[in-house]
Amino acid sequence: MSKIKKKRVGFVLDMTPLVDIAFLLLTFFMFTAKFKSDTENEQKFQIQRPRASADTSKVPEKDLAMIKIGIDTVTNDTAYYYSLSNEQDRKVVYNSDKVQLSDEARQKVILKVTDLKVLEALLKQTRMANLRMKFAIDADRRVQYKWIEDLTNVMRLSNATVFNFVTDRPS
Amino acid sequence: MGGGGGGLAAAPKVKRGSFATVRKKKKRVGFVLDMTPLVDIAFLLLTFFMLSTTLTTPQTMEMSVPPETENVEVKQSELLTVLVRDDGQIFKFIGDKKTSPPEKVNLKDIRALSVNENMRLENKLILSLRISNKVPYGLVINLLDELNIAETEITQRLTVKGMKRERKFALTPLTDEDKADLKDL
Repeated sequence: MSKIKKKRVGFVLDMTPLVDIAFLLLTFFMFTAKFKSDTENEQKFQIQRPRASADTSKVPEKDLAMIKIGIDTVTNDTAYYYSLSNEQDRKVVYNSDKVQLSDEARQKVILKVTDLKVLEALLKQTRMANLRMKFAIDADRRVQYKWIEDLTNVMRLSNATVFNFVTDRPS
Repeated sequence: MGGGGGGLAAAPKVKRGSFATVRKKKKRVGFVLDMTPLVDIAFLLLTFFMLSTTLTTPQTMEMSVPPETENVEVKQSELLTVLVRDDGQIFKFIGDKKTSPPEKVNLKDIRALSVNENMRLENKLILSLRISNKVPYGLVINLLDELNIAETEITQRLTVKGMKRERKFALTPLTDEDKADLKDL
């Protein structure tokens, strides 16, 4: 009895383990994905953070007042950028009459501050609005130390004596 | 293919497809689902999320400043001063700068210096950092990082000796006098 060899027209591959792993990774990345906040959407500069290895605590997500010092990519000038993570606090602080801001600026999420007096008023109002507020300084590693020194002096005056420097892990 | 086995087992000697056999209904043992579109979509989403996530979340370095600038009397002998000049060059002196003039130190040696001096004076040492406001901020953080690394070692060594670490630390601007002292070094 001669058997006729069956002609192969294709092949079947068991894709189940592949699909298992693909879905596992998919769920992992879906849960860890964080989308850009409003603050980052308005930001027009890229911060090159300094690198530090000793302290590895993470930046808190709630009750955070972030002071960024960035170098504008187009005009190349340095300025302070103030933002609050809580929308409610943001409304209170930005609309306070103790802070001198233009009506246009009050609507923004991230405030460009060049006057240290304004920054001081902002910090003071922030402390009044929410006592649990934590302060973080996120500055570009290329900016002169003068910017940090001025900022820490203002923070001292506003009684925000504990703050965090935002850093990156060394690569 | 596998389903054919049932038919063959019932009538093994009869040729398949012959008219003599009564066709038995194939018993289903499972079902085949074409997973290709599912996998396509899954991989599409997977690549999207993989590319959109940034895995390096920023870290923080905690700092605190004294509420008011108050003048505290310190013993000169318990003072280690680290100065950073405009060009980023680091200098140190212990105690009075008249008796021990500022010496140049490398950033890498700061860690060992802090550990050694702290172990010599055991909790009494006050570190005074005077930084020029013209140096890049990145350098200041690197310096503070080195000191923080040293701090863990100091705490460890003092705990072995049964002491509790109290860190004394001051961050002040570089004065004109300091600048003049460091000019020719």
